[in-house]
Amino acid sequence: MNLLQKQNPLHLLLTAAILVLLFLLPVIIQSSTMILILTLIIWAAYLTSCWNFVGGFAGVLPLGHSAFVGIGAYTSTVLFQTYGLSPWGGMVAGGLLAALVGVIIGIPTLKMRGAYFALATIAVGEGLRVLVENVKQVGPFKINGPSGLLIELSESSFTNFQFVSKGPYYYIILVMLLLVLLLTYLMMNSKIGYYLAAGGEEPEAAEALGIKVSRYKLIAMAISCFLTALGGTFYAQMMLYFYPKSIFGLDLSYEIAFIALIGGRGSILGPVLGAMLLKPVSEITRIYLGDILPGMHLIIFGLVLIVVMRYQPKGLIVPARRLFNRLVGKSSEPSGKNPEATIVTTEVE
Amino acid sequence: MPFLEVNNVTKRFGGLTAVNEVAMRVEQREIIGVIGPNGAGKTTLFNCIAGAFSPTSGSIRFQGRELAGKKPYQICQAGVTRTFQVVKPFASKSVLYNTMVGAFAKTNHLHEAEQRALEILKKLDLYDKKDVISRSLTLPERKRLELARALATEPTLLLLDEVMAGLRPSEVTEMLPTIRRINEAGVTIIIVEHIMQAIMSLSDRIYVINFGKKIAEGNPQDVVADPEVIKAYLGDEYVATQH
Repeated sequence: MNLLQKQNPLHLLLTAAILVLLFLLPVIIQSSTMILILTLIIWAAYLTSCWNFVGGFAGVLPLGHSAFVGIGAYTSTVLFQTYGLSPWGGMVAGGLLAALVGVIIGIPTLKMRGAYFALATIAVGEGLRVLVENVKQVGPFKINGPSGLLIELSESSFTNFQFVSKGPYYYIILVMLLLVLLLTYLMMNSKIGYYLAAGGEEPEAAEALGIKVSRYKLIAMAISCFLTALGGTFYAQMMLYFYPKSIFGLDLSYEIAFIALIGGRGSILGPVLGAMLLKPVSEITRIYLGDILPGMHLIIFGLVLIVVMRYQPKGLIVPARRLFNRLVGKSSEPSGKNPEATIVTTEVE
Repeated sequence: MPFLEVNNVTKRFGGLTAVNEVAMRVEQREIIGVIGPNGAGKTTLFNCIAGAFSPTSGSIRFQGRELAGKKPYQICQAGVTRTFQVVKPFASKSVLYNTMVGAFAKTNHLHEAEQRALEILKKLDLYDKKDVISRSLTLPERKRLELARALATEPTLLLLDEVMAGLRPSEVTEMLPTIRRINEAGVTIIIVEHIMQAIMSLSDRIYVINFGKKIAEGNPQDVVADPEVIKAYLGDEYVATQH
């Protein structure tokens, strides 16, 4: 693995500095509201990075990913409420369930192209939300319909995934994000990554080169859904209260897709950049305009998206990368094989 | 047992019979040309062998294994790789990336795939272009890339669908030795082509197809002298002027 070898010293230094800064932020910033917002930004970057496995690399546009966030949140929570299972265990269970659901949905839908796949995923996401809103109880598990679930306060501990301060949540999601970015890098530089890109771009040519395109898309879907569900459990544990509209809704699905498209889908750091730019906007509009103009952030996102798609169809990561390379005095990419991959360690936030 | 045996393959699209009871035998290490006027069914026959279509009836046996009805990726995994008449590079990716996708057919390791791909690019004079995004290649380069990608899967039978169409005569002349070298390395080749100069000099044997039917087969000299072939290409009145 040459993740660190190809970087020049300035890159490594900057990367290290950014990482140290990220880990020190909760110590520097005292305001818990600020920490919460930062945590939500990283959470959005995490979810979008998970989405990227399908939306960025498999050449389709999923618009129902909140379904898997919801599956994660509900699974870990009902298992905790009913059997007292640690949310960490529930997190894995939710991930596995989401991967299974993702594959079942993917088998018929991943064969569709363009808008048809997007529409199918919207339908699934919305269908699941309506279903959950109308169910009070499944077997021994309380679902509570539209009023959602409240997680009982327990002792603040790692096993319980509950903490009095916001700091630990920040660190947990930061580590989750870094791991997902590492996984993205590894995937892009593996047979799966090459096959996904090939199948997404020219399915017919890919098949002629021995690639069973549908199989690789399903693998990407399973990975993406599994990881997305982990993000759902995280959200549930941080907020300790959620209801179908808050995690199952189209709002979240769209927000993820907006972040990816504006930041740059199919690149490692595009989702991170997108989340850094857009999530603060949605938080601010929610705080100040939440009562008068709910959903204002989606209108703003839409406008931004139109402008970005017009001038930077590959997302803002492209000019950002150019600017960064100019700043560190690097004239060209070291390898044309995988330009995105070479900056993995350099621009994390 | 022939290397590739096409037995009475028929492909119908509704009422149209694009390929009608075509039979073909290919021995290992041959270069076989398939010619015929536009719309004769050459590419459809090709698509049947490569798995893009499954034949309505008939069988296609490759090294004793039935290919008819198999999916394109299975056929590629069996050792038969095709190129496309309208080239289909992974446009946003580099030449090396494109070729590595092919090389992954025989390895799971990134480094190994890269080594194999680089070797092939050297052989096809694309090494200098390895980092170029394939969208910005010229047509002859794209045709070469199409060939490189197919070769990277290490096929034993290579199906070339008009790899020289659209090239200038000088570029065709450059392509011929490349194809010969691939063949000399042990790859059997079936080639569909309109450029007669190319197909005459390359092919060991030629099959001529018209209206979906095979009308002639044999070595290049015999085939061009065949009255049926002259009729198909030039019309009835020209047949009489021949001996």
